[in-house]
Amino acid sequence: MNSTIRVIGLAALIGLACAGSAQEDPAALRRRVRALAESGKLAEAEAAARAGGAALAVPLGEVLVLRGRVAAAESTFEVAVASNAPERRTAEAALAELAERRGDPAAARRRADVLVSAYERDGTGWPSADRTAAGRAYVVLAEGNAELNRAALRAFDAAVAADSGAVEPRIRLGDLFLATYNAPDAKASYTDALRLAPKQPRALLGMANVLTFEGSGEAIGAVRRSLAANPALVPAEVLLARHHLDAEHYDSAAAAASRALAVDSTATEAWAMLGATAWLREDTTGYGRARAAALRVQPRPAGFFAAVAEAVARHRRYAEAERFASEGVALDSNHAAALGALGINELRRGNIAGGRAHLERAFARDPFHVWYKNTLDLLDQLAGFRTIMWGRFQIVAAPAEAEFLALYLGPLLEEAYDSLAARYEYRPPAPIRVELYRRHADFSVRTVGLAGLGALGVSFGTVLVMDAPSARDPGSFNWGTTAWHELTHTFTLGLSAHRVPRWLSEGLSVLEERRARPGWGADPALEFIGSLKARTLLPVSRLNDGFVRPSHPGEIGFSYYQASLLCEMIEKEWGRPALLALLRGYRDGLDTPAVFARVLQITPDALATRFDGYLRVRFAAPLAGIAPWDGKGPATGELVDLLEQGRGPNARAALEKAEAIFPLYAGPAAPALGLARLARERGDTRAAVAALARHNTLDESALTSNLEEAALREELGDMPGARAALERLLWIAPYEATLHLRLAAMAEQLGEYPLAVRERRAVVALGPSDLLEARYQLARTLGRAGHTAAARREILSVLEAAPSFEKAQALLLELRKQPDGGMR
Amino acid sequence: MNAAGAILLLLVTGLSGEPRFVTAFHSTAAVMYDAARTMWGVADSSVTYLAEDPAHDAARITGRSTREGIAAAFAELARRSETGDVIVVLLLGHGSGQGNDSRLSLPGPDATAADFAGWLAPLAGRTVVLVNGASGSGDFVAALSGTDRVVVTATKNAAQRNETVFAEHFVRGLTSEAGDGNKDGRVTVLEAFGFARREVQKAYETKNNLVTEHAQIGDSALAGTIAFGTAPASKDPRIVALVAARRVLEQQVEVLRRKKGTMDSGLYERELERLLVELAEKTAEIRAAEGRRP
Repeated sequence: MNSTIRVIGLAALIGLACAGSAQEDPAALRRRVRALAESGKLAEAEAAARAGGAALAVPLGEVLVLRGRVAAAESTFEVAVASNAPERRTAEAALAELAERRGDPAAARRRADVLVSAYERDGTGWPSADRTAAGRAYVVLAEGNAELNRAALRAFDAAVAADSGAVEPRIRLGDLFLATYNAPDAKASYTDALRLAPKQPRALLGMANVLTFEGSGEAIGAVRRSLAANPALVPAEVLLARHHLDAEHYDSAAAAASRALAVDSTATEAWAMLGATAWLREDTTGYGRARAAALRVQPRPAGFFAAVAEAVARHRRYAEAERFASEGVALDSNHAAALGALGINELRRGNIAGGRAHLERAFARDPFHVWYKNTLDLLDQLAGFRTIMWGRFQIVAAPAEAEFLALYLGPLLEEAYDSLAARYEYRPPAPIRVELYRRHADFSVRTVGLAGLGALGVSFGTVLVMDAPSARDPGSFNWGTTAWHELTHTFTLGLSAHRVPRWLSEGLSVLEERRARPGWGADPALEFIGSLKARTLLPVSRLNDGFVRPSHPGEIGFSYYQASLLCEMIEKEWGRPALLALLRGYRDGLDTPAVFARVLQITPDALATRFDGYLRVRFAAPLAGIAPWDGKGPATGELVDLLEQGRGPNARAALEKAEAIFPLYAGPAAPALGLARLARERGDTRAAVAALARHNTLDESALTSNLEEAALREELGDMPGARAALERLLWIAPYEATLHLRLAAMAEQLGEYPLAVRERRAVVALGPSDLLEARYQLARTLGRAGHTAAARREILSVLEAAPSFEKAQALLLELRKQPDGGMR
Repeated sequence: MNAAGAILLLLVTGLSGEPRFVTAFHSTAAVMYDAARTMWGVADSSVTYLAEDPAHDAARITGRSTREGIAAAFAELARRSETGDVIVVLLLGHGSGQGNDSRLSLPGPDATAADFAGWLAPLAGRTVVLVNGASGSGDFVAALSGTDRVVVTATKNAAQRNETVFAEHFVRGLTSEAGDGNKDGRVTVLEAFGFARREVQKAYETKNNLVTEHAQIGDSALAGTIAFGTAPASKDPRIVALVAARRVLEQQVEVLRRKKGTMDSGLYERELERLLVELAEKTAEIRAAEGRRP
């Protein structure tokens, strides 16, 4: 009697129908409710659950959670627990999770503890669903605890062992692996789940999360597949919003976040996406609304601020990201994500000590976080780096090469600063910190926390990070143009208050590279022309996509080049001030259509049309020689045929024709290289030199052909020309000691003593096998350059180390005869 | 040479396994061979070069690097050399085993550290420099160290079994000006060892690889006194006096350098310059007296 009254009372409280579907098997009903929920039919699922009575309390609670009715869900689960309803343990796990969600970790832990204790006492006989519930309870308890994480994994594994067809524990396993940044195992678990249930939306979403974690361009497709299976899947909409936001598609991001909130108005992550979108669009009211909503969901929503910080940081708003993260830390000083976002953004802004301190605290809370771990390891290494002050720059590099790199990079950066300051009418605050890493993986960790980033450099504003030339094989990149590119970002970010869209920032950086030196900056590939012909290049309105989610491997390169051409066209047709005005427009908070309207008096569509026409005129000749490219395989067409004929009997005519059609082409089988080879074969050195020179002023990383040009020019007695080729090589293969020795000797021969001194210093800085000999040569050259005092200091230092060094002794005596003059 | 004795050289390249090792071992041995002949004035008959395939370079290679061949070469060294001579043994190849059973892979049976100990025993009274550039050679130091003997190995123990690059750098150091650390015109075994260690470190760092070989040397004090490349000393009394005076100045510089940390830096620099100038002038006098260009 008592129990009947209690059940009736509770049923009334939560509105459960106690009759109705009595004749249907409760287990079948539960399956039906969950199937409806998994397909996004939440209202239908709720109605069915309510019609099922107490036996369906748990599925009902789950549906209520999905709809954001957290309090009602909690009551329902409480009923299930109190009435010992079927799936009672699932209800206990859900209650622990809900307590955590509403910001009551103590209650969450209490609840989880009870369930875990029971599982550890007699869990061996539990059915699969109960073991899954135990696993969820372990997850609640596990924050930062490796042992409890392993216990959770074991519980989910046990759930799979108890029911080999169970999908739920497999998804939970995937989620747990992903939460500990183990993407391969997460992927395996989701794959396993999808093998049993190919359209399971949460498993599909799990795969999308894995792809996002891996930085795959296919992630967004995977999110859409999960939403096709369940249009009401809130985390999928949140992930979609994030992808849209990253591509600066603000309308789409806001729409996705809003759809998520229409399903569950308590989804803090969705409010964070909506808030970040509003904030990035300068919509302070919208941001305030999102912030207030998050605060209503729970009193200390540090996660909301951490998510906003991360989102705005992906838009290069590092200072503001730091501020948001600080706000999160102020609400919850132990929130790992907020501490992590704070630390990472402090590091990006050059606050190494502060960043490290916050990151250490974040790592203590989340020891699985690879970004924190990798970055802290890197900071240990960074502590041993050497900082060379050079004008307005701090050049930070491994001690073995810092001085050497600064010899070249210092003057180049100073030149770039002056040039860009004049062009952009803006002077970024000094000092600008430039970090160079000998291992690409370290650069990648500094930038995105993980190894595998394809970029060569990154600008965080007044902190630049890039691969040192030693990070890659000689000839694979030009470190001078990389530095110039990144420094241009410092100007465009600064001038626009970090609001410049990606396409414009990258486009201007590449354009400035081209201005810096002949041949620097991206080149057009044959496939770019083929894509232009096929009209498959990204439209102006979606140019950002090419940088953040390229549809094929070549698209990133196309996008850099295309963006630079767009900037080039704007400058040509509207004048240089227009480019500056665009940046200022973004700084003022205008969006792209408004900026275009204000500065160019044109709509985005009209600009796209004009740009298309510009490209077709600019590349008219090669367009006629290339077939439309379908995005796969190499380009085809008459031009390609001509290049292929470059090794046949009519090679010269074919290559000359190819070069005439596409004189800018410097990619594989470049015609000028073929023509140089033919000229050498027929003994025409001058023609060979001319052809090599044409190529070397197009290809910024041309190693072999610059070496050949230098050698042939030397052979012809053209020392200035040879010197120029060797100087280009300094940005391609700087560690080649012979290059510096040749350049030094050549410079001395030409009487260019400042250059000779620099090269002798470079040889010394490279730490050659015979360091004393190199220092002797430096002293000798300093003497010849008229720097007698410096020469004397150097030779005395050499002799201090090796007093019996006869050549050095002779030089000392020679220098003493010329106290004021040089040795010229 | 550090003493009046003659230099005798034994070069052994072991089993190569791959063509690239044939080239690598031979090119290192050939540099040593040529330097001994041309730079140190070692007689043809005092250079023995044993290799896997003597036909590979019939002009230089004198026999096959079998265990028996090496034993015979050591016996010949014992027969030909005298007290005070310097015997340099360079082993190149792949190693295995550990302790006294550390081996150099050879055509036929391998030679162990214990074998080398037995072959070296009759060379008492000679100064022996044995360089084992093979992988996993580290235990040769403990197994072979002894009086008047410097043992150098490419690795610190038998476990470092990756292919090594130490020997080529050691030979380069010993045979070029680059290895002459103090620029006094002669390269000691210790200088060549230091040079090679630095170059090995650099070679690995350049490739962003972890260093998998750590060379070691037994009796570095002795190694610092065994030098190669010194021109014969003049017997002209005037030059002998000048050289002696220069030696005094060199010693004064050395004394001054030791005081650097405790002296006023300005005073140190002035004194250093004064001594170095005097030293340079003394060298100029010597060169003039020798009829060389000052």
